[in-house]
Amino acid sequence: MLENFSFRTIVEYLPLFGQGLVTTVWLSLISFAGALAVGIVLSAMNLQRGWLFRVPAKAYIDAVRATPLLAQLYFLYFGLPRLGFVLPELVVGILALSLNSGAYVAEIIRAGILSIPRGQVEAGVASGMTYVQRMRLVILPQAFKVTIPPLLGQAIVLVKDSALLSLISVAELTRAGQLLASDRFMPAEGFITIAAFYLLLYYCLKGLAALSGRWLGLQPARSST
Amino acid sequence: MTKTGMIDFRGVNKWFGALNVLRDITLSVEPREVVVVCGPSGSGKSTLIRCINGLETIRDGDLVVDGQRLGDPATNMTRLRTEIGFVFQSFNLYPHKTALENVTLAPIHVRKIPRTEAEQAGRELLAKVGLADKVDAYPAQLSGGQQQRVAIARCLGMRPKIMLFDEPTSALDPEMISEVLDVMVAVAEEGMTMMVVTHEMGFARKVAQRAVFMDAGAIVESGTPEEFFSAPKTDRSRAFLSKILRH
Repeated sequence: MLENFSFRTIVEYLPLFGQGLVTTVWLSLISFAGALAVGIVLSAMNLQRGWLFRVPAKAYIDAVRATPLLAQLYFLYFGLPRLGFVLPELVVGILALSLNSGAYVAEIIRAGILSIPRGQVEAGVASGMTYVQRMRLVILPQAFKVTIPPLLGQAIVLVKDSALLSLISVAELTRAGQLLASDRFMPAEGFITIAAFYLLLYYCLKGLAALSGRWLGLQPARSST
Repeated sequence: MTKTGMIDFRGVNKWFGALNVLRDITLSVEPREVVVVCGPSGSGKSTLIRCINGLETIRDGDLVVDGQRLGDPATNMTRLRTEIGFVFQSFNLYPHKTALENVTLAPIHVRKIPRTEAEQAGRELLAKVGLADKVDAYPAQLSGGQQQRVAIARCLGMRPKIMLFDEPTSALDPEMISEVLDVMVAVAEEGMTMMVVTHEMGFARKVAQRAVFMDAGAIVESGTPEEFFSAPKTDRSRAFLSKILRH
């Protein structure tokens, strides 16, 4: 069964896969940074009492979560130029991933902030801290710890979602698999190889999540002297 | 009306929805006075002291604290709160900060005291509440009684004019209650103006000038702790005391 499976071709294409992997990694990093920025702004808007900021943030988050990423990507890729914004594929791709993932990140951050007990806010209020001081000194440092593991989970999702950028011809990892599949008509070799690389990325992020969990878990138990 | 206390309630009312949680409260606490507030659960005693630093807002009546009327646009609530220490039933220490950092956080960032000076003062305060050896401990490493003593030191670090205690020993195991009360007695003896929601009679008798009994949002009885605990005047306070003293 495996006599048709060409390891040689995979090896031959390794530089291409390598380039794809590198592209996937850095575009995911940039997109995740973008998602964090979008998420922080959205969650801050979403936590306001007044509707002026909260309602648009909620509407945006719902719109993103209710529609397929592929539809969002196509809207940006095909739709924006018709509206007069012509951007390179890579920029469109990073924009799509940031805007999409940002909605999920916003909910993770909001949940993290809301998970901090009310008493912590009251302790800050009672000692005369302003809203900004309470956030900076009391709430966010605690919320940060809670949000790291789910944020890394979201990063894993983002890496996998970045495969969709192959559809707008960004030369990332999945695109490399597609090229092998179409050039040599070797879809098995092409897609099994990219699967292996995605698995590798997954384990890297999972390891990071475990490490951060252990680090964050250990911190409050630092022994007293 | 002419006399102004450190804390002055004048005809204060508050509702939670349809529930009248504070009914026409008039009460004046003098500087250096210690007032104990007791009453059945849900009688409004916590709400009463939470109004003083604005953790709750009042519907009508006047509440004047340290000469400033709450709800007045001229009153800077954030500023006023720095003069009022608040000790919570559940401590509410910052879990990500050490004992010393808990004590110095607000002095450094709110009072703008230089770090070294604040830390020096913080160490002294922790020593004063008997926790000199726990300066670098995190709240999770401390017992309830120790956490509550850190919480008291945290308030004292702001050098407040008033200290409010909301059932400070109710969440503690019995053997830890006295270590917290001892610290509170020491604070009272230094002349702090205090309002303490508690049923600890021993504490009330030792340092309080007045005991106030609340029921259903109203102050039903007020007198010296001695009078109140040994010879309550109203049926409701008698019924209440018979319940808490039965055991």
